[in-house]
Amino acid sequence: MAEKAILYDATKCTACRGCQVACKQWNENDEAIPTEENGVQASNWGSYENPPDLSPQTWIKMRFTEIEVGGKVRWLFTRQACMHCTDAGCVRVCPNGTLYHTEDGFVVYNQDTCTGCGYCVEACPFDIPRMENSGILDIAGKMSKCTFCTTPGLDRIAASWEPACVKTCPTGALKYGNRADMVAEGQKRVQTLQAAGWTGANLYGENELDGLHVLYVLDDSPAIYGLPESPQISAATIAWKDVIQPVGWAVGGLAIVGLGMNWLVARANVKKEAKK
Amino acid sequence: MTHHEVEKYRKPIRILHWIHSGAFVLLFLTGLILFIPGLGFLAEDSWTRIIHRIGAAIFVVIPIIYLIINPRSVGRGLKLAFTWNKDDIDWLKAAPRYYFLGDESDMPPQGEMNTGQKMWWLIVIVFGVLFVITGLIMAFAKTAAPAALFQWMVFIHDVSFIVSGAMLFVHIYLGVFHPLMTDAWSAITGGKVSAEYAKKHHGKWYTEVSKGKE
Repeated sequence: MAEKAILYDATKCTACRGCQVACKQWNENDEAIPTEENGVQASNWGSYENPPDLSPQTWIKMRFTEIEVGGKVRWLFTRQACMHCTDAGCVRVCPNGTLYHTEDGFVVYNQDTCTGCGYCVEACPFDIPRMENSGILDIAGKMSKCTFCTTPGLDRIAASWEPACVKTCPTGALKYGNRADMVAEGQKRVQTLQAAGWTGANLYGENELDGLHVLYVLDDSPAIYGLPESPQISAATIAWKDVIQPVGWAVGGLAIVGLGMNWLVARANVKKEAKK
Repeated sequence: MTHHEVEKYRKPIRILHWIHSGAFVLLFLTGLILFIPGLGFLAEDSWTRIIHRIGAAIFVVIPIIYLIINPRSVGRGLKLAFTWNKDDIDWLKAAPRYYFLGDESDMPPQGEMNTGQKMWWLIVIVFGVLFVITGLIMAFAKTAAPAALFQWMVFIHDVSFIVSGAMLFVHIYLGVFHPLMTDAWSAITGGKVSAEYAKKHHGKWYTEVSKGKE
């Protein structure tokens, strides 16, 4: 099956946040009414960004950035949601396969089997997964994030529909289709932007982490938009999953085999001694 | 020779040993689940996390209680474990022949704690401290700690798990299965070893003990 992707064009986005609303509505993630109890900031904090952060009930959020370029203020908007990486840190560290890839290339999860270890939260280069807060000991919270509209029972992709965020986007800043087509379209748009004088325009996500399934058309460097310039699986993740865990199996196995051999040899020799 | 026994481990030490090791086994098994994807279902809904934290609380609190009740015993144990001399070096050289072939001709006489036991103490202390520090950070500073710090804590926790887990196999094997460690099990369960065993395995200590008694 051909891989699918979302193409987000920051240059067409007006930050209307229709995608945020559509996402919550379709995925039945209740809006968090700001209260002190649920920790959602209610006071003015100097930004139109709302809510202030992703949460288990907020899978997508528009990030607002103000920067000064050549004496002029620019107000930038970026989509903040799961990037559905091909080389996904969360999938690497998940201890029991709760997080996995679909044939389309999406990173999805079975919340029933989530152990709540939270390793995925720390392993994500984009800071996307969120844990439910389950009280003072925080012992039963599960991970939550964008499912690319594949949540069982609410699966738009299986019905051959667009994800809810794409469907609702009024300016055409979000598109959905075969990943190869989205890459081609993104590149074309970047060329158009560059021809129009946006020399820093680029397509983000084509090759990052072996290819993201959410591609970004940006008119300036990813860093300015608050995206990691070259997102990477952390050294700790690699050292832990790819080095230490196999070594652990080897050490444990060798210890047991060695002890078993010692037992056989020592028993035989002790018997010999006893006969003497 | 008349059959008589000497006390190797007093009751409070034996209780400490079994509660502490019980907690460790609990921690070991609930941690192991995250190493084996096929067993991951056991950790669903965080039940093993709760057990792991209860085990951790026991693992931390019990030695502290023992230290408060009986600081002299702890001091004595530490002194024994950290006092190394030439006999220990000779023990290390002779140990392979002894543990495989049963040849004790080169084994130097040992005190109350033999060299192997001293090494086990070092492992318990070093990795016990590493476990507790990294575990506390993972449990209580998850959101406060930077992601990289958290990940390295997981890494160190796992390294400790592997080393101390493998050494635990050795410890259990020597205590229960090795053909020559005949009295190790009774020493840590009932507290006593036969005089013969004490003479052979802890010669220096046996001389001291029997002198004091006579």
